[in-house]
Amino acid sequence: MSKRIVVDPVTRIEGHLRVDVEVDGGHVKNAWSSGQMFRGIEEILKGRDPRDAWLFTQRFCGVCTTVHAIASVRTVENALGVGVPMNAQYIRNLIVGAHAMHDHIVHFYHLSALDWVDVVSALKADPAKTSALAESLSPWPHNGTAVLKGVQDRLKGFVEAGQLGIFANGYWGHPAMKLPPEVNLLAVSHYLQALDYQRKINKVVTLLGSKTPNIQNLAVGGVANAINLDNEATLNMNKLYFVKEALDEVQQFIEQVYFPDVCAVGALYADWLPYGAGVKNYLAVPDFPLDEKGTKFDLPGGTIMNGDLGSVKEIKSFGDPYFKENVTESIARAWYDGDWQKHPYDEDTVPKYGKWEDDGKYSWVKAPRFEGKPMQVGPLAQVLVGFALKHEPTVRWAAKTLETVGAIAKTKVGPEILHSTLGRHAARMIRTCMIAEITQKHWKLLVENIGKGDTEIFRKPEFPSGEQRGFGFHEAPRGTLSHWIVIRDGKIANYQAVVPSTWNAGPRDAKGQVGPYEASLIGNPIADAERPLEVLRTIHSFDPCLACAIHTLDVEGNEIARVRLA
Amino acid sequence: MGRNGGDEEAEVRVLGLGNVLMGDDAAGPWVVEHLRAEYEIGPGASLTDVGTPGLDLVPHIGGARVVILVDTVKSSGEAGELRFYRRDEILKHPPGPRTSPHDPGVKETLLYLEMAGSGPEEVLLVGIVPGRVEKGLFLTPAVAAAIPVAAEAVAVELRRLGIRAERQGDAAPARPWWAGDEGSPA
Repeated sequence: MSKRIVVDPVTRIEGHLRVDVEVDGGHVKNAWSSGQMFRGIEEILKGRDPRDAWLFTQRFCGVCTTVHAIASVRTVENALGVGVPMNAQYIRNLIVGAHAMHDHIVHFYHLSALDWVDVVSALKADPAKTSALAESLSPWPHNGTAVLKGVQDRLKGFVEAGQLGIFANGYWGHPAMKLPPEVNLLAVSHYLQALDYQRKINKVVTLLGSKTPNIQNLAVGGVANAINLDNEATLNMNKLYFVKEALDEVQQFIEQVYFPDVCAVGALYADWLPYGAGVKNYLAVPDFPLDEKGTKFDLPGGTIMNGDLGSVKEIKSFGDPYFKENVTESIARAWYDGDWQKHPYDEDTVPKYGKWEDDGKYSWVKAPRFEGKPMQVGPLAQVLVGFALKHEPTVRWAAKTLETVGAIAKTKVGPEILHSTLGRHAARMIRTCMIAEITQKHWKLLVENIGKGDTEIFRKPEFPSGEQRGFGFHEAPRGTLSHWIVIRDGKIANYQAVVPSTWNAGPRDAKGQVGPYEASLIGNPIADAERPLEVLRTIHSFDPCLACAIHTLDVEGNEIARVRLA
Repeated sequence: MGRNGGDEEAEVRVLGLGNVLMGDDAAGPWVVEHLRAEYEIGPGASLTDVGTPGLDLVPHIGGARVVILVDTVKSSGEAGELRFYRRDEILKHPPGPRTSPHDPGVKETLLYLEMAGSGPEEVLLVGIVPGRVEKGLFLTPAVAAAIPVAAEAVAVELRRLGIRAERQGDAAPARPWWAGDEGSPA
């Protein structure tokens, strides 16, 4: 008999992501993904000066602040048909790179590792054996027995004081937890070290953006970072060397800790490799522009349909019509008035809340489509597109990853394993390794450009009368983000943001095509319906970010996500 | 740096949490703006509007000796009422399961940092019970009236910690960028 499991977090005033799965015979047979909160924040932008849009858009989400700021200035620049000075492009790219590294490290260690790592089991590990294992995987200098023993003692103290708070929500002892105690201890140690690297890389964003979260240095037409190598108050060599040092340290952590950890988890959970593929249409946009207008990039973008790498079609520029003309959003199964599928320029959404209907409307999230198809976005899409386009860094890091996974698992694995829950983690790590290199490259390009005597950072935009339309995209940590603007006589007439988690978490459409979260859950094993760890594993692998709007702390009550059997 | 909260590495950090686009959820950032505009804050303390950062709070709390958080809180009280909590009360109930990067918030950040050995010695949460939390750039009157009271509560705590925090009688009221020309919290 089939059983229905509802995972409905009630951690804030309003609910956010709700996932319903129907389980039969220990596997998920059907799934629904639902956004439980109406946002519609774009409305706030109507009538405003397009030059101010980025200040508001970066408040859409408290975690993805930088990405909405970047997408917004690119959008207005696209509408005006202008580029930005190269210094501005490089400074933006440094911020984008630092932000992405920060976000991916946090995602793996602090948001999803506990889906795979059993913290309590780490207490049983032998620190000396753990250290020997670590040394077989990586030259990282902070894997010594003394360090690991220290972590274990600290963990023991936390457990004995009844303070397992951080891990209190972990599913330790769950039958789907498979790592040996030593690997668990190593992971806990890196989990704590990752906090330091998160802070180090965040300082790069703070220094270049003046502040985090919510950077202050952007402008439509460039950046506000005055460059003068002889001035303490501006961007100078001291500050640039501070950035370089942070990039070096964090790159070492990424290559010597994050890389082997993901490979080890992938290899030791090889039985999970067949699960979680879901929608195999992939969309990524190019990023790290190398010229003023965005026609050459360091990370490629494009589409892949039906998992066929041979079908890859490249997205080549900031203004590429292949992207512009093929994005639509469907509200057929979302709580809005009507059942249309429209281009973002033409959307005018009217909320109309109804009850949950499996066969009708069940989400506040719209369903974005590309050429009418649901698309998976995120690091996996980006890596597969790069792989299919034979992008050198992607091919090199993907090969190194597959080889390392194969060596630990003592078997040969090919790129087909990437279409999976674990593949999303691997792709995120591959992307982080590439971004660490690319950010270094853009630091060098910036320094060389300044060295040539170029200190231009901004060109004042002119707003003609009449109507202009534009779009801007950014390959954000969670995937393809696009903003769409209609400007009329210098004011914003319409603004839409199509965010990565909408592509992935969106509901069915008028044709009944399921969204990526939903598709990826179907077929997942479920060992214990009361503790659906496997559902969380697959959903977390997308790095969902739907709880974008508010922050209210519940101190007095128990913040417990409801898992109920219906 | 140092004067009126510019130093992000200060040992005492005042952090306003909340989304400025979502009505009363902006209470925390409003208190930060109010303190900036109407108070003279001595060196040793920083003031930051941190938005809704989830686990990205780590860099803002890590390395601080004392953290004063200003946030809306879910509580049975009336809108605009203040609630004060210290570390142990904040952590009395364990955090819930994670679904998105926002879910690990204040509680997890404090616990992570304590486990890593870099948690703050003292934490005060100045909580404001919100009225309306939905899209909008203005506070409800009850919450707007609570902003100066909450700001003074932060100032009292700063003074207790030996940091100068004096209200300037002739200061112009806060005009945060998001509130446009009206510049009033209500």
